[in-house]
Amino acid sequence: MSPLPARSRGVIALIEENCTSCMLCARECPSWCIHIDSHTETVPASTEGGRDRTRTVLDRFAIDWSLCMYCSICIEVCPFDALHWSPELAAPEGDIRELTHERDQLEAWLASVPEPQPLDERAEPAKEIAAARRAADRARLGRQA
Amino acid sequence: MSWSDRVDQAYAAALGEASLRDEGFPPLTVEVPADRWVEALAVARDVLGCTFFDWLSAVDEGEGGFAVLCHVVARRTAGVEHLAVRCLLPRSRPVLASAAGVFAGARWHERETHEMFGVDFTDGGALLPMVPLLLPEEFEGHPLRKDFVLASRVAIPWPGAKEPGESEGAPATSRSRRKARPAGVPDPDEWGPR
Repeated sequence: MSPLPARSRGVIALIEENCTSCMLCARECPSWCIHIDSHTETVPASTEGGRDRTRTVLDRFAIDWSLCMYCSICIEVCPFDALHWSPELAAPEGDIRELTHERDQLEAWLASVPEPQPLDERAEPAKEIAAARRAADRARLGRQA
Repeated sequence: MSWSDRVDQAYAAALGEASLRDEGFPPLTVEVPADRWVEALAVARDVLGCTFFDWLSAVDEGEGGFAVLCHVVARRTAGVEHLAVRCLLPRSRPVLASAAGVFAGARWHERETHEMFGVDFTDGGALLPMVPLLLPEEFEGHPLRKDFVLASRVAIPWPGAKEPGESEGAPATSRSRRKARPAGVPDPDEWGPR
């Protein structure tokens, strides 16, 4: 089989570490096919007199492929790049109830997610890279001084 | 002469000021008055050589009424030229003369447009009877109208209703904001069986 173009919409891969359970993808999904369950956890204050913080922990992330229309809105809307297209074509299931894939199955597609396309010539570098470079420069200057 | 110039010239000669070229995205679109719909399609076929009828359908423009669109194609040695003809019908009385006299295949599309949008078609002033095409006979309403409520969306819980930190059967500990509602779905307290 000839290789599929890099941006083919095969299946959606999930990077669980990036997901903050913010519900944006589930709310924007026109097909109502994303199911998210999460709970909040209290993180004790790290410094004395500091405030305890709460964070949300993802319990379930599932995509119902029998409803998904491959519109890519969830991937566009995710503020933390937790969702990515993989050109892999999901093997059809024999039963409609098995078309809901849970997060372990969605994470497994990550291996086939292509590298992001290179930036255009003279484009601004990604914010994270620019910030990391500034920090590295500062550290180097500090060592020299 | 370019295709757009030929289209402009043909419609200026046939309909004069009444037709309007849409300067937006392709395909090339000409807006015509609804009462000259059949005449405008005949111009496309006879003057511009658009002998291939592709499709006819409608767009619900909300307050603006219904736009009926017809896409036709002219075959050329180097490829094909596209043309869309459009007219606007008032929401209160969406009635249009049938294009079947120009393109016989239009009847099938008019039946579908009637079912989906509730647009009526006439032949010689008489309303054409429309046999259901895709929907079951007892179906009520026109499913592609924007005000058509999807009953299953009212009945099925919306996956986006949960707040971050909330699970099925385990509500979030702090409920700070108003419950989010899915777009375009009426409140079950206001619509549907009670």
